[in-house]
Amino acid sequence: MIFEKRTERIFLAIFFTIALCIPLFLEANSFFVGKVTTILILAVFVMSLDFLVGRVGLVTLGHALFYGLGGYLFVILTPEYEAVNFWVYAFYILGLNALIALVIGAVVLRTSGIYFIMITLAISQMAYYYFFDSLEFGGNDGLFIFMKPETSIFGLSFLNLDNPTHFYYLALLAVLVTLLAIKVILRSRFGRIVEASRLNPERTEALGYNIFAFRLISYVIGSTLAAYAGLLFALQYGYVNPQFMTWEMSGTALVMAILGGMGTIYGAILGTITYEGLLYLFEHMTQDWMLLMGSAIILMVLLLRKGLAGYLEKLLEK
Amino acid sequence: MANDIILETESLSKHWGGIKALNNISLQFHDRQLHGVVGPNGAGKSTLLNMLCGTLQPTSGCIFHKGEQIEGMKPWKFVRRGIGRSFQKTNIYADVTCLENCAVAAQRRFTGSFNLFASRHSNKLVREAAEKALHQVGLESRIHTIAAEISYGEQRQLELAMVLATDPCILLLDEPMAGMGHEESQRIIELLNELKQSYCIVLVEHDMDAIFELSDQLTVLDNGTHLITGTVDEVRNEPLVKEAYLGKEDDEEEAA
Repeated sequence: MIFEKRTERIFLAIFFTIALCIPLFLEANSFFVGKVTTILILAVFVMSLDFLVGRVGLVTLGHALFYGLGGYLFVILTPEYEAVNFWVYAFYILGLNALIALVIGAVVLRTSGIYFIMITLAISQMAYYYFFDSLEFGGNDGLFIFMKPETSIFGLSFLNLDNPTHFYYLALLAVLVTLLAIKVILRSRFGRIVEASRLNPERTEALGYNIFAFRLISYVIGSTLAAYAGLLFALQYGYVNPQFMTWEMSGTALVMAILGGMGTIYGAILGTITYEGLLYLFEHMTQDWMLLMGSAIILMVLLLRKGLAGYLEKLLEK
Repeated sequence: MANDIILETESLSKHWGGIKALNNISLQFHDRQLHGVVGPNGAGKSTLLNMLCGTLQPTSGCIFHKGEQIEGMKPWKFVRRGIGRSFQKTNIYADVTCLENCAVAAQRRFTGSFNLFASRHSNKLVREAAEKALHQVGLESRIHTIAAEISYGEQRQLELAMVLATDPCILLLDEPMAGMGHEESQRIIELLNELKQSYCIVLVEHDMDAIFELSDQLTVLDNGTHLITGTVDEVRNEPLVKEAYLGKEDDEEEAA
C-alpha cells in the first residue's frame, strides 16, 4: 500500500470522487471548470515542490523556473500554426527540461541550506529577466499558443483540448499521475536513501552513499513534474510569459505546501485548494483581500503547526 | 594472515591554522587486531579517526588502504572500500525504527539503491542483513522500536549495528561505550572481543580498563603527537605516558 495513512486514503478518496464529478455539475459554467482546472494544475506544481522541500530536504525558491520552462519550451519547440501531438511533444519538452534541470542541479546542489535558497532564487531570477528582456521570446508579453495540440494515441483521440471539460480531466490525470509517481518513488529503495539523506546527511554519507547523486536525481524529477504543470497551464490559457517564473510564484507555491502540511504530498493538494479557495472568497468580499489573505495564512500557520494535513491526521489517526 | 597491514598512515598531519591537531602520525593497523587509541582530551584521537574515514582532509601525509593511497577521496568511497565508522556523538536516524536504521546501512551492499520503483521492503537480503546486525549487538528485541525511543546505551549499540550492517572490514569506533551502564559496556566488550577475530578494529575509548583488556596494539597520542605504539604492557611501562596522563593534565584542560 503506497498510501500508508488512513487520513491520506480518506482524503484522496473524497477528493477524487468529487473531482471526477465536478464537471457534471458545472458543465454549463465553463469559467468555473477552467478555474478548477487551474487549481489542479497548481496542485501538480505544489506537489512537485513539496516533494523537493518536504521529502528531499531541498528548500528551493526557484522552482517556478521550471514551471515557466515547461510553457516556454512548448512554444519554442512547436511550429506556430500546426497542431502537434500533445504526448509526443510533452515527452520532448519534459526530456529537454530534465536535461536543463540536470545541469542547473549539478551547480546548485553544490551548496546547501541558506545558500541553496539563494542560488536557486538567483538562477530563476536570471531566467526571469532573460525572458523579460528578450525580443525573440516576446519580452514581458510572452508568447502565444495559436494552435492547441491534439491528443490522439495510435490514431484514437479521447480528449479535445479546446473543450474545457476535457482539459479538466487531463489536469486531473496529471494530479493522479504526479501523486502516484511521488508516492512510489518515496516508498522505493531510492526513496529510502533520499529520506535518510534528509534526516541525517552526515550519517548517510558515512554509510557509503553519494548523497549528491540522490539529490540530483530527485531535483530532476521534481523539476520535470513542475515543467509538466507549467506546460498544462500554458496550454490552458494559450500563452506563456515571464510571470510564470517570478519568485512570487515559487513563494506562493511554498506557502501552499506549508499550509497543506509539508512533506505529506496529499497535503499539497489540500493546501492548493484551500489557498485558492480563500483567495477567491476574499477577492469577492473586499478590495483589501491581501490583508485578509495574509492574516488567514498567518493564523493557519500559527495554529496548525503541521499544516492542514497534520490537523486532519490528529483527528483521524488512532 | 593475522599480521597483515590493512590500513596505514604516513606522516599524517592536520593543522587548523597554527594549531597542530595532529602532527606527523605514522601508524599501521593490522587485520584481525584491535588497535586502541588513547590520549587526554584534545590529543587528536577523533581527528585521526575522521581522517581515516575520509570526512576530514589531512593537511599533509598519506593514508594507505591495502597498499592503495586513499586520502582525498570522498567519504562514501572510503565506506565502499570497507572502512566503516561509528560516531562519538550518537548519530542515527531518530525518527525511524531500528530495523530501518540498519536497512539504510545494509542496502548499499545489494544493488538497487537507484531503483525508483521497487518497494524498499521488497529486498529480503537487505532485511536479513539488517536483522543480523541488530542481533550481533543484542538489539533483537528492539527491531520495530523507533530509534529515538530506545535508551542511550541502546542507541550506542544501534550505532555499532549500523556500521556492521555496511559489511566493513575495518571498524573505526569512536567511544562506543561512552555513557553506557556497566552491563551494557560489558556486553560491548564481549562483542568487540568476538569481532576482532574477523575485523580490523580501531578503537578510541576513554574507558581504560576496557581498552587494556581489548587492545592487541595500543597507541598513545598527546597534544597531536604520537607518543608510543605497542602492546598494552609496553605502553603501561612507558614513562612518557604517565607524564602525559598525570603530569601535564592541567595544561591539557587549559588547551581544551
